[in-house]
Amino acid sequence: MADEAKAGRQATPAAGEDGPKFMPTLTYEGPSMKEKVEELREKRAQFEAMGGPERIERQRSQNKLTVRERLGLLFDDGTFMEYGLLAHHQSQSPQMQGRFTPADGCITGIGEIGGRRAAVIAYDFTVMAGSIGMVGEIKATRMRELALKERIPIVWLIDSAGARIQEAAGSTFARSGDLFREQVVMSGVIPQVAAMMGPGAAGTAYIPGLADFVPMVKGNSNMALAGPHLVKAAVGEDVSAEEMGGSEVHCKVSGVGDLEVADDQECITAVRKYLSFFPSSNLDRPPVAQTSDPLDRRCEDLIDLVPANPRKAYDMRKLVASIVDDHDFFPMKPDWAKNLVTGFARFGGRPCGIIANQPMFLGGALDVNSADKAARFVWLCDAFNIPLVFLMDCPGFLVGSQVEKQGIIRHGAKMLFAVSEATVPKITVVIRKGYGAGYYVMNGRAYEPDLLVGWPTAEISVMGPEGAVNIIFRKQIEAAPPEQQDEMRNQMIGMVRDQISPYIAAGWSFVDDLIDPAETRQVIGKALAVTESKRVERPWRKHGVLPV
Amino acid sequence: MVEIVSEMVANVWKVLVSVGDQVTEGDTLVILESMKMEIPVEVTVSGKVEEVRVVEGGVVQEGDVIAVIS
Repeated sequence: MADEAKAGRQATPAAGEDGPKFMPTLTYEGPSMKEKVEELREKRAQFEAMGGPERIERQRSQNKLTVRERLGLLFDDGTFMEYGLLAHHQSQSPQMQGRFTPADGCITGIGEIGGRRAAVIAYDFTVMAGSIGMVGEIKATRMRELALKERIPIVWLIDSAGARIQEAAGSTFARSGDLFREQVVMSGVIPQVAAMMGPGAAGTAYIPGLADFVPMVKGNSNMALAGPHLVKAAVGEDVSAEEMGGSEVHCKVSGVGDLEVADDQECITAVRKYLSFFPSSNLDRPPVAQTSDPLDRRCEDLIDLVPANPRKAYDMRKLVASIVDDHDFFPMKPDWAKNLVTGFARFGGRPCGIIANQPMFLGGALDVNSADKAARFVWLCDAFNIPLVFLMDCPGFLVGSQVEKQGIIRHGAKMLFAVSEATVPKITVVIRKGYGAGYYVMNGRAYEPDLLVGWPTAEISVMGPEGAVNIIFRKQIEAAPPEQQDEMRNQMIGMVRDQISPYIAAGWSFVDDLIDPAETRQVIGKALAVTESKRVERPWRKHGVLPV
Repeated sequence: MVEIVSEMVANVWKVLVSVGDQVTEGDTLVILESMKMEIPVEVTVSGKVEEVRVVEGGVVQEGDVIAVIS
């Protein structure tokens, strides 16, 4: 019977006048459709089990969720469509033989976040430490292509030891590297988020380097161009992954991280919230949210918050929280370059990016890091059609030999460049100080604000009265008898101070209006509505020459 | 021992504590003056002021020790 069936399935030529003919297969004795479906179900279950119970337990013991739990939190219920579940490594390398790598350690797919689609590439540490294998990278490449074609955001959940060197330790490396170039092509076209939820060494460290938003889970995540073992081998340094590239380092010192978060849940929540401010791509406008916070809500607390004495500091974060919808502000890089506050909020439901000087740190003066922070934030908002709101209280750029050695001119130029280039609606409120180039980079009159208003405390000038007197009247003061010099200087400082008045700037119509501080919220909200259809044409160029 | 350092170059405008004073976290030790602003330097730990290394009218550089707290 078996032999007959076999024979029946093998086509045998039949002799005839018209040449050879083939007998059709008439019998089929393979598994039934039901059995095939059962086999598929079993295989899927096997692949969905990731690296197995033991490794999943280890993942949990480190206070980490599994990759599938993370995706469950990231996407709206029932919306995730996975690509490449049944993929696994195809390597012929001896080190890879006998290894089973479900999904090849990299889950990819598309789901909805707050009702809008986003693509994901999520590394699974339970499968060969989430290393990037060749098949996993084929999947990731497909996801990058789909995200770009669909014009939807892409999110990486990174928990990965980096490249899988068991597959490719040699010169086949010569063909690799597409991922970073593709990220650059996608930059400013679709939002890119790289959530650091575990290690991200080498290959997975430049992904966040090129992404727009990088939250880092405290204690569990780290990123470095090389992990501790390679560092030891290459330069002899003994250092742990956490010391070298933990959230403490990147969110407070290097500025590579954007937000330190307590755990996986908080991280995913931050990703969802971040994307809520963004359009799906640069072709769209950012979505307007519903809010019950009235736009004409007066912020009387600001009258007491901000000292009229321009020398006294106050907490700018409180000012920001007071004026935005529901007091809800989403900070970017809050623990790095703290002399400048950057982040997202809404006025009357309309999203905007806020850039505000923080007098609590460095007196609100700008230094190299805050200039970088501002430039990057402005480019981010401008790329995705998110209006900018500048809250100015800036005594200027920090001066002195220290900052010159750090290249303050180069870094300050970056901020000038970004603010000048931005064509999204730009609203400026001068709270108190607007001095020198600080006034320019905080979007002063020459930088095309669509509305420029000041508080009655606004003081705009090329420099403070003391500095001006030291330059203008130095010779006269030095020529006076020593006992009269102080009085003379003070008199002249008073004269110059009288020239610094918001009513002079308003009298020339260089500022559009002076406003009651309690109405700041309402004024910004109205301005965002008024400037909604802004269009700016610039002369054609391939690109500017960025002062980096 | 915790050293409180200056985060920027500045003039020392007011010194508000003396050696031997007890301070609590968040207290202002000195007020610097830089970039047209008063910049309060707060103590980051509670303890006793062991040393004050600045005087009113003096200048501090970024990273200079302002006071030592034990």
